[in-house]
Amino acid sequence: MPAKLIKGDEVAESIRADLANELNNLYEKTGLIPGLAVVIVGENPASMTYVANKEKQSRKIGFYSQVRRLPEDISQDALLEVIAELNEDSKIHGFMVQLPLPDHIDERTVLQSIDPEKDIDGTHPVNMGKLFSNEKGFIACTANSIMHMIEHTRQPVYGKSAVLIGRSNIVGKPLALLLLRRNASVTICHSKSLDLSEICREADILVAAAGSAELVKGDWIKPGAIVIDVGVTQDGDRVLGDVEFEKAQQSAGWISPVPGGVGPITITMLMQNALEAFKQQIEA
Amino acid sequence: MSAKVISGKQIAEEIRGELKQKVADLKEKGIVPGLGVVLVGEDPASVSYVTSKAKGCEEIGMYEETIKLPAETSEEEVLKTVDGLNKDPKISGILVQLPLPDHISVDRVIGYISPEKDVDGFHPVNLGKLLRGEPCPLPCTPHGVKQMLMRSGNDPSGKHVVVCGRSNIVGKPLAAILMQKAEGANAVVTVVHTGAKDISYFTKQADILVAAMGRPNAITADMVSEGTVVMDVGVNRIPDSSKKSGFRLVGDVDYDAVAEKASYITPVPGGVGPMTVTMLLYNTVEAAIWLNQG
Repeated sequence: MPAKLIKGDEVAESIRADLANELNNLYEKTGLIPGLAVVIVGENPASMTYVANKEKQSRKIGFYSQVRRLPEDISQDALLEVIAELNEDSKIHGFMVQLPLPDHIDERTVLQSIDPEKDIDGTHPVNMGKLFSNEKGFIACTANSIMHMIEHTRQPVYGKSAVLIGRSNIVGKPLALLLLRRNASVTICHSKSLDLSEICREADILVAAAGSAELVKGDWIKPGAIVIDVGVTQDGDRVLGDVEFEKAQQSAGWISPVPGGVGPITITMLMQNALEAFKQQIEA
Repeated sequence: MSAKVISGKQIAEEIRGELKQKVADLKEKGIVPGLGVVLVGEDPASVSYVTSKAKGCEEIGMYEETIKLPAETSEEEVLKTVDGLNKDPKISGILVQLPLPDHISVDRVIGYISPEKDVDGFHPVNLGKLLRGEPCPLPCTPHGVKQMLMRSGNDPSGKHVVVCGRSNIVGKPLAAILMQKAEGANAVVTVVHTGAKDISYFTKQADILVAAMGRPNAITADMVSEGTVVMDVGVNRIPDSSKKSGFRLVGDVDYDAVAEKASYITPVPGGVGPMTVTMLLYNTVEAAIWLNQG
């Protein structure tokens, strides 16, 4: 029997409905609207599409949404000034800086200048550090999306073996700590690891986030496994994931398609974090 | 095969020798690294740790100051003490000895330490930098394990490291250190949960096996493949009437039997233990250099 599909839209839908409801209730109680901003530097087409989607979706749910479009040649200091403004702006409860940034800007300096309480992308070191303990903090959106997809299958995570391919700051590293919290055994490897196929074959949960088209072969999938494909590689007019989908689908229990898998959820996670930031700030 | 022993005692001495030289060089520039320790209450194990830290500082020529507070000290008072050390120019590293009494929030106290002086490496901002692969003080015990691997010729790069135990002070930060794309890291890392159906399935795959579960004899010979490098972080007290203290220290590894199969192994005591205080001294010296760069 071919695998069941984990569709991002289905996972996101119920979360979006909850968000819209909660936002309404809070508005009735406080008369306040949560505000969210995205900063984009330059005109990278993929980033622009993504940012436009964020704006559209967040307005639809009922957020006050702002996009700061800055020129490619903006100086780092000028960008830091924009961030300082957003840190101070009481209408904006959370914001993120769209990556990648142009080469003349130091990503590390920029991300650290964001007020951790408004860091809805969950990439500030303070928020990433909180993943080690059970302290409350913002969780990186892609990693959080994957946890929701795994939960969507209603399969137990306790004691399961999870394998993550890719060790980026927004997927592999935070996800490893989230899965440990849920009592899985976790292996984190990268695309050049030796014995990748051996390691994958024992995975009850396999997350492929290496950014390497069809790196994971169909016969590497353990029967019944949950397979989450985070890869997005443009190949002519096709979009390929990191997993050989057709073949993997024959043995997996659940598998996420590309496109239509993780992608649609990440914006929902961003909005969820923004609503959380709003709640914390109006309570304070 | 009989394993080579990686002596933490010896490697710690080697590193302390290097630190002593570094401290002497810094003194010529007018910089004296200083460690401020906060001890709340009189837990005997904590008192003995704090004493060995003070001794270590003295040995390498560093300034040291231990502030002892009674167990009933309020959280506010502890925070005030930490703040005093944050502002004290003689102090480059601050250590709050854990555990703290129940009425004090560990998260709040650790979060209050100035990240630049957080030589334990447990401030959230430093843990976050660790995870991101940015420069930061590395938590002492995992850092000690890494140093022992490197200095015994067992670079983890490209190896499969299996960490048993996922504590906030050993398992998780060690995994975070070794998974980075960096020199002396770059490993495939598995962190095993004790609820796994078959732990030995993972431990047998390990090129480097780290036992940090806090259970005597948790790792037995049948769980280890020939030639594995075995690092034992466990420190367990088991009753022993032949000892004056009434107990002896053992690790998490069934040492004698596992040593027959391993290529390298660390003993308990004398293995990872002596490294922890040494890496604290290391972090304090580094913090002094960092703080004086302005």
